[in-house]
Amino acid sequence: MSRGGRWAGWIALAAVFVWSAFSTELSVRRMLEGLPFMWDFLRRMMPPDPSVLGNALRGAVQTVQIALVGTGVAAVLALPLGFATARNASPAWLFYVARSLLNVFRAVDTLVYALLFVAAVGLGPFPGVLAVVVYTATVLAKLYSEAIEAIEPGPVEAVRATGATGLQVLRWGVLPQLAPQFLSFTLYRFEANVRAAAILGFVGAGGIGFYIQTYLRLLNYPAAASVLLVLIALVMIIDFASSRIRARLV
Amino acid sequence: MIRVRGLTKDYPGSPRALDGVDLDVARGEFVALIGPSGAGKSTLLRCLNGLVTPTAGQVWVDERQVTGASGEARRRIQAGIGFVFQQFNLLRRLTVLENALIGRLAHVSRWRSLLGWFGPVEVARAAATLARVGLDGLAARRVDRLSGGQQQRVAIARALLQSPAVILADEPMASLDPALAHTVMELLRRINQEDGITVIASLHVLDLAQTYGRRIVGISRGRIVHDGLPSTLDAAATMRIFGAAAGPIPNGRA
Repeated sequence: MSRGGRWAGWIALAAVFVWSAFSTELSVRRMLEGLPFMWDFLRRMMPPDPSVLGNALRGAVQTVQIALVGTGVAAVLALPLGFATARNASPAWLFYVARSLLNVFRAVDTLVYALLFVAAVGLGPFPGVLAVVVYTATVLAKLYSEAIEAIEPGPVEAVRATGATGLQVLRWGVLPQLAPQFLSFTLYRFEANVRAAAILGFVGAGGIGFYIQTYLRLLNYPAAASVLLVLIALVMIIDFASSRIRARLV
Repeated sequence: MIRVRGLTKDYPGSPRALDGVDLDVARGEFVALIGPSGAGKSTLLRCLNGLVTPTAGQVWVDERQVTGASGEARRRIQAGIGFVFQQFNLLRRLTVLENALIGRLAHVSRWRSLLGWFGPVEVARAAATLARVGLDGLAARRVDRLSGGQQQRVAIARALLQSPAVILADEPMASLDPALAHTVMELLRRINQEDGITVIASLHVLDLAQTYGRRIVGISRGRIVHDGLPSTLDAAATMRIFGAAAGPIPNGRA
């Protein structure tokens, strides 16, 4: 790009930023004015109410269950989708159809899917699971397909050269190259899905978010604080465990 | 043992890789295939075991026609031909033992091999072969923890475990430093002499070819331009193979 073009680009970006800042009513003054209310909000949460810990833990367990089932089903669905959207493993027509389709589905986030599924199948954790499945399957398919495209052809050829069958080549030439990465991606998505599932309760799709929203609506801040603390602990534990496992995989 | 007739290979958009190659190799020979890079050595070796399909011509290995074979017939032929690659082509995340056992895939129950269960007999056989190539005690090690020379020996063990009649080695020492190159070539020579396995190794280092090859086949621009005992490789022959542009006899690494 020419020098002039690059400058024009930066100026345009700055203009769009300023315009957006005005449109979104960006205001330091309003934020400062809001600080006492935030303080007040925190003060009213103290001390957290331990009597709701039972509910909070039940919600936390359900959140992990939604993430676990959703990620598991999505990982299975993402396997064929990943191969279908890998340039080196899929015929051209299938590649384009599958990739365009996935791009469409990936454009919508888990929470929006949750709204749709709550309307379709009713309240509870099940629509949450469905929402996690749809979004995660598309994301994992993309990650899987990138791993498939980066596969080393040499070892695959070597396995084929021993007179192995197609399935044996897949099992011994392809799978060992992909399995650790697939597992790592899947764990990472599970981690992200625990966080995503934590807010699914806001739209009635189960999990710990339901309790956060309920207690906030009832203005029961100490109870909401307990649930939030459980959520923070949960996410930290999952992140820690998952990253430890992932570090050992590759 | 190996019979090649009129073997020709064209790759779209590049000069003819193989141009009417005729070659006969008897059982138990150790052939060094030499020539400048791009001369067609790799393509020739890959046509011999069906990894590359030639444009024209025929290949027979062990009385079986490689060219035109497909499916089960092609796999049966490939099972009898070990192939050692320049880049080793091992599964880096698998253990030494698992990589070696890949050589047994065509010999064991398919379904059990898919589950990764080869059975104690096969494991013992693989362990013995690993010991033979000097890798005893390393069976459980991940391959990417080994040195280059050790990795190439794993690849040779994998080829040996196919119980092949032929081992084709495509620049087996090109990724190794000179001392290791001799270890690998020495190993191939032992296999050739002790097991009677026919070996065809492509090499670009002339002194290795002359030390280990008992017959030297020179290839240039897809044609065989020299074929004879190592002693017949004189200046004129070298010139025919490597061309005037190559200058003095290329010794050492390319």
